[in-house]
Amino acid sequence: MKRRDFLKWTALSSAGLVLPAGLPALGRIAQAAQGPDLVVARGTPTPQLVRSALDALGGMRRFVARGDVVILKPNIGWDRTPQYAATTNPEVVGTLAKLCFEAGAKKVRVFDNTVNDARRCYRQSGIADAAAAAGAEMVVMDSRKYRDVRINGKALKSWPLYGEIFEADRVINVPIAKTHSLSGLTLGMKNWMGVMGGVRFRVHQRLDESLVDLCRVIKPTLTVLDAVRILTANGPTGGDLGDVKRLDTVVVGVDPVAVDAFGATLFGMKPADIGHVRLAAQAGLGVMDLSKLQIKRIGV
Amino acid sequence: MTLTRARRIVQGLFLALFLFLFIQTESKGTDELGWPVKLFLDFDPLIVLTTFLAAHRVEGLFWLSLILVGLTLLLGRVFCGWVCPLGTLNNLAGSLRKKRPRPPGPAWFRVKYYILIGLLASSLFGVQLAGILDPISLTIRSFSLALYPAMSYAAAALFDAVYRLDLPLVTPASEALYALLKKTMLPFQQPWFAQGTFIGLLFLGVLSLNFVQRRFWCRFLCPLGALLGLLSRWSVLRRSVSEECDSCGACAGVCQADAAPAGKETWRASECLVCNNCDDICPKNAVRFGLLKGRSGGGLDLGRRNVMAAFFSGAFAVPLLRISPLARPRMSDARLIRPPGALEEGQFLQSCVRCGECMKVCITGGLQPTLLEAGLEGLWTPVLVPRIGYCEFNCTLCGQVCPTGAIRRLALEQKQRVRLGHAAIDRGRCLPFAHATPCIVCEETCPTPKKAIWLEEVTVRDREGNPVRLQQPRVDLTACIGCGACEKHCPVVGQPAIYVTVAGESRSPEHQLLLQDPAGPASPGT
Repeated sequence: MKRRDFLKWTALSSAGLVLPAGLPALGRIAQAAQGPDLVVARGTPTPQLVRSALDALGGMRRFVARGDVVILKPNIGWDRTPQYAATTNPEVVGTLAKLCFEAGAKKVRVFDNTVNDARRCYRQSGIADAAAAAGAEMVVMDSRKYRDVRINGKALKSWPLYGEIFEADRVINVPIAKTHSLSGLTLGMKNWMGVMGGVRFRVHQRLDESLVDLCRVIKPTLTVLDAVRILTANGPTGGDLGDVKRLDTVVVGVDPVAVDAFGATLFGMKPADIGHVRLAAQAGLGVMDLSKLQIKRIGV
Repeated sequence: MTLTRARRIVQGLFLALFLFLFIQTESKGTDELGWPVKLFLDFDPLIVLTTFLAAHRVEGLFWLSLILVGLTLLLGRVFCGWVCPLGTLNNLAGSLRKKRPRPPGPAWFRVKYYILIGLLASSLFGVQLAGILDPISLTIRSFSLALYPAMSYAAAALFDAVYRLDLPLVTPASEALYALLKKTMLPFQQPWFAQGTFIGLLFLGVLSLNFVQRRFWCRFLCPLGALLGLLSRWSVLRRSVSEECDSCGACAGVCQADAAPAGKETWRASECLVCNNCDDICPKNAVRFGLLKGRSGGGLDLGRRNVMAAFFSGAFAVPLLRISPLARPRMSDARLIRPPGALEEGQFLQSCVRCGECMKVCITGGLQPTLLEAGLEGLWTPVLVPRIGYCEFNCTLCGQVCPTGAIRRLALEQKQRVRLGHAAIDRGRCLPFAHATPCIVCEETCPTPKKAIWLEEVTVRDREGNPVRLQQPRVDLTACIGCGACEKHCPVVGQPAIYVTVAGESRSPEHQLLLQDPAGPASPGT
């Protein structure tokens, strides 16, 4: 099967699976054919790294239109400073916010449902400052704005998810690449646990399937995987600088499964080693097979 | 401008300062508060004196209380009349009733001196109870645990109702107002406190006493007022009444305390709050406050027998409270988890004045007031209840706001090594142990650099006999600091499957679990 055929097939089958939410996905996947599937950029300084990666994918204007409200969803789950690689790099978030504004975004909102205290996580991660410097709004999530979303998945039938994710014009997922004691790695798909309300720690009982189920209803415009620093052990919390490895890398793509699949290789793993990546690909939510993807590698 | 007017303005300013510092007693995401939030407590000589008597220690800022002592020696109880936030609140509550109530009895003002003597006696023999009745402690505690949470709850209920109605213009406006209030005066998150209702009712009770007699608390009960009253007997600010006085009695009706202003010779310096009401109301302008020599006519005859009775009551409270096993090592409540940096239990109880500052500032809301977990002697002292909130690994705020050093101020690296206790796993409830169901939440939320919870990969069988490969959590006692993050996040509802007890807490040599501790003694005392 040729790549183009494969994309069509994926689009059609996933559209069949997730209608009516599948229609925009179809559009996006068709759009993805315009550029490379993934951009893997490496180098410093970090702001330039992010800029170059987005440029290689066709520029932020491809994804963000004038007047858009854009959500950036970093991983800010823990009360750690950036060097511990437990939270998304603040420069990555700040640069993305700037790029959104340059593309004409009206508003850029940044939030995460943190595990540790939100005040501390927002400040200590450096993301509050980076967002403010870029003119983005750092939002403490409002318990009233979760709403039950029908998922009809394998593990999750419905779950309270943060409403703004579905109301915003564009949603950009900005996870950090880390190990995780149960899911193997936490990359883009796992980052959507940060918009879950309710007793979300219960999903660990069927974590991989739950993450795939989230992926059925949350359709980001773009995923920017931060691998400037990665956490190679004791994730997702970390706390030991000895577990941190500096890669100065970001992986950018439209297909959330493809981004995560590539993310696995940063840890010397195969995409199929990560249960939720494998299941998501099987469910037709994206492409896991890296040989079928057009990957553009750039240095900065 | 009359002096009464000036006093009211000063009272308002001090109340505003008090409330401002109270609201600032909250994390903004860093480990600094940026304001001297315990300032009113630092100025409180009753707290300094009783802590010194009970624990033989003075804290770094004790000299601020000497300023108040000096001021009182100079000007009398100006603190009560012009500064004390509880006094001002009593004034406000008293003004709700127009008609002045009749005083209950001429000798009641002495009661507060007996209370003071009792408290000093018990602290002399090592039991610190002053904080329960100290007006600053009482006010901060009541605000922290009851009034402020209730206000937050009411605001949320109101704004949520408008939010749900989703009215055009109205809802956006009310949301904007709510956001503004949250930024300025409402708490970051709704605080929940055990006994909040009870402590709130007690405070409202204190305020309601103003209907029996205005400033009932200040006249009859306040031990700090009594201490300052004793000092005021030597104050050089004296009241004099000129020959113009025709004994009309106008002053007697407006006196905020029991200073007996109507009689020329009977004025009691110890009771006068220097409110200047008598001066302002006098139709003959016969009353004058000035720097005068000599003693006031109205002495303070407390009665030798009464003083002895108060002293021995306070002293006898010590053995009566100490016969509880709960304050003994190895007999204590297993869940009496004290804040990080708390002194060894005996010293802790001698130092804690139950002001509630630590509970107010606790970022997770886990610090709660005890009822009887530490015996009656430990009433309203802080205990960490991890199910409500765990001890945040990177936070030292409770030690920063403690006015007496009962919770010591520790550097972050030091605090991160202090063990509050140890976590234990309930294998009968833990999902991977009891129910062949995967779960790693305790391990995931464990904050220590070397994780205190590690996972053992095992194969168990489900009911059908099928093998299930999963990870079971184990606690590494050499790494566990008892912060309770695991207990807080354990998805097993009700009684959690992992919980912290005082076993292993650094502050108590008797509570150690391991013979040899590879991490070395983490005692804050060393």
